[in-house]
Amino acid sequence: MSFSRSVTSVFTIAEMEARKIRHDSTELWMRAVQPALWLLIFGEVLNSVKALAPAGYSYMQYIAPGVLAQSVLFVSIFYGITIVWERDVGLLTKLLSTPSPRSSIVIGKALASAVRGVFQAVVIFALSFLIGINLRFNVIDILGVFGIVVMLSMCFSSFSMILASILKTRDRMMGIGQVLTMPLFFASSAIYPISLMPTWLKYVAYVNPLSYVVDALRSLLLTGDYSNLPLDMAALLLSTVAFASLASVVVKRLVQ
Amino acid sequence: MKAVEVENLTKVYGKETRALDGISFSVEDGEIFGLLGPNGAGKTTAIKIITTLIKPTQGTASVFGTDVLRRPQQVRQMMGYVPQAISVDGDLTGYENLLIFSKLFYVDPKERQGRIAEALEFMGLTDRADDLVKHYSGGMMRRLEIAQALVNRPRILFLDEPSIGLDPFSKNEVKNQVKELNKELNMTMIVTTHDMMEADEICDRVAIMNAGRIAVIDTPARLKESVGGDIITVKLSQSAVVTSLPGGIGKLLSWEGGELRILTESGEEKIPRIIDYLEAKGMVIGSISLAKPTLDDVFIKYAGSRVDQGSFVAARSERRTFTRRGR
Repeated sequence: MSFSRSVTSVFTIAEMEARKIRHDSTELWMRAVQPALWLLIFGEVLNSVKALAPAGYSYMQYIAPGVLAQSVLFVSIFYGITIVWERDVGLLTKLLSTPSPRSSIVIGKALASAVRGVFQAVVIFALSFLIGINLRFNVIDILGVFGIVVMLSMCFSSFSMILASILKTRDRMMGIGQVLTMPLFFASSAIYPISLMPTWLKYVAYVNPLSYVVDALRSLLLTGDYSNLPLDMAALLLSTVAFASLASVVVKRLVQ
Repeated sequence: MKAVEVENLTKVYGKETRALDGISFSVEDGEIFGLLGPNGAGKTTAIKIITTLIKPTQGTASVFGTDVLRRPQQVRQMMGYVPQAISVDGDLTGYENLLIFSKLFYVDPKERQGRIAEALEFMGLTDRADDLVKHYSGGMMRRLEIAQALVNRPRILFLDEPSIGLDPFSKNEVKNQVKELNKELNMTMIVTTHDMMEADEICDRVAIMNAGRIAVIDTPARLKESVGGDIITVKLSQSAVVTSLPGGIGKLLSWEGGELRILTESGEEKIPRIIDYLEAKGMVIGSISLAKPTLDDVFIKYAGSRVDQGSFVAARSERRTFTRRGR
């Protein structure tokens, strides 16, 4: 009973987000510009550097999954700002005054961020298809990609909500978001292989959930080699569960 | 059973700030109970504890016999809460705001549409239901918030400063709807306000709060009585000497030049007698005015300071406007 109630609440919060996007999706379209630039400009220019991509693949192919992960990461790492804003206008207080369990509100919010992530993923897929990047467009792999996108969004939006409950203002959240996004992006295998990194950076890359995400996306979209997939998924699942649980506990700090 | 029982509630922030300093009160079923006091008196903190949003440092609170600390979820299922800041989502339509909350309150899916339509109807929002809420006026947003609480059919409704930042017309509308809800659905209500007039008009009983404590609890009428009676001011056209009044009219407080101030009970009835008496003495009356005691006077008596500090109130409504523009 209480479990099915929680599930209802989680999906209701996500539905709220989907309805908002339906009314106005301008922000999401604008957010798609940046990944487009990574692919069209950065990818195009570095396409000639053979050392960056593994044998048999073009650099464009190599970074498409990386850019996908990055754009979803950027959307979700700033999700805490929405929470702070909702706190400021009284919406969060109102949500927390319903009988829905706090954890279901937080997980619902994380899933709401995933709704945005999926939107980004669709745009990037469409773009890759249009400019002729050769990816493995088959149904099972693409479903897998969306599954990973959902988890990735939930992972980093939960992380962002934890930060929000500590920092509590929108300005600080903007700041911390800027501080975090690039290091997370550069210390992962998103745009170059980990093997090219200096040793100290390799260690950072190994504890960076984004590395595992990119690795999983590449195995689905490029190589079709699933041998690393269980490890990648386990790492992502572990960080998502850890961040979401912690966020559920600390979110009440925002209304105190 | 009491709707709300609060025992020795204390909330300390950090080491020093005592937002609540051991308050106790109870609210009867079906009553509109007001928590009245200046900003920072602890009203919102008290509401937040009773609505399970924050935990008290000490003390207990229960809603219809259910302890807020032990069974917060059960308490939340019985209540509606309208926070001080506008809490509807501007990026959704009025209908969608209600739909989402009916789901979060676990309203039976079969009853959902009926309840939403009813709540919209009751708050007079039916014809604007499909507009985005960011295009609503402040008063409509407030009404939508109350509608949002209504889809749950709560037994008790908490309204935190329901009329802050509203124009006089919307204020009045919200006030009337609150009274109607209370009467028609027998819904218990706890209202916080710093507006003395508002408390006087809608509340059955008020608790006057200051600096985290309750100074006094009673009906507005009795509280006003306790600060003394009405004051009648008579201005005479020519100055004359009046040193005493016949028995039964009241007590002469002062006579300066041509102005008399008289303290009395039920002043409306005394005015004709005063006119008769003064005219019989050959005096010409220029004007007469009657001042009734307000809860403001009550506040000054029990809490020792004025509640409506003009600048503070203005600053609050300013912030509110800003918040709304930002959405």
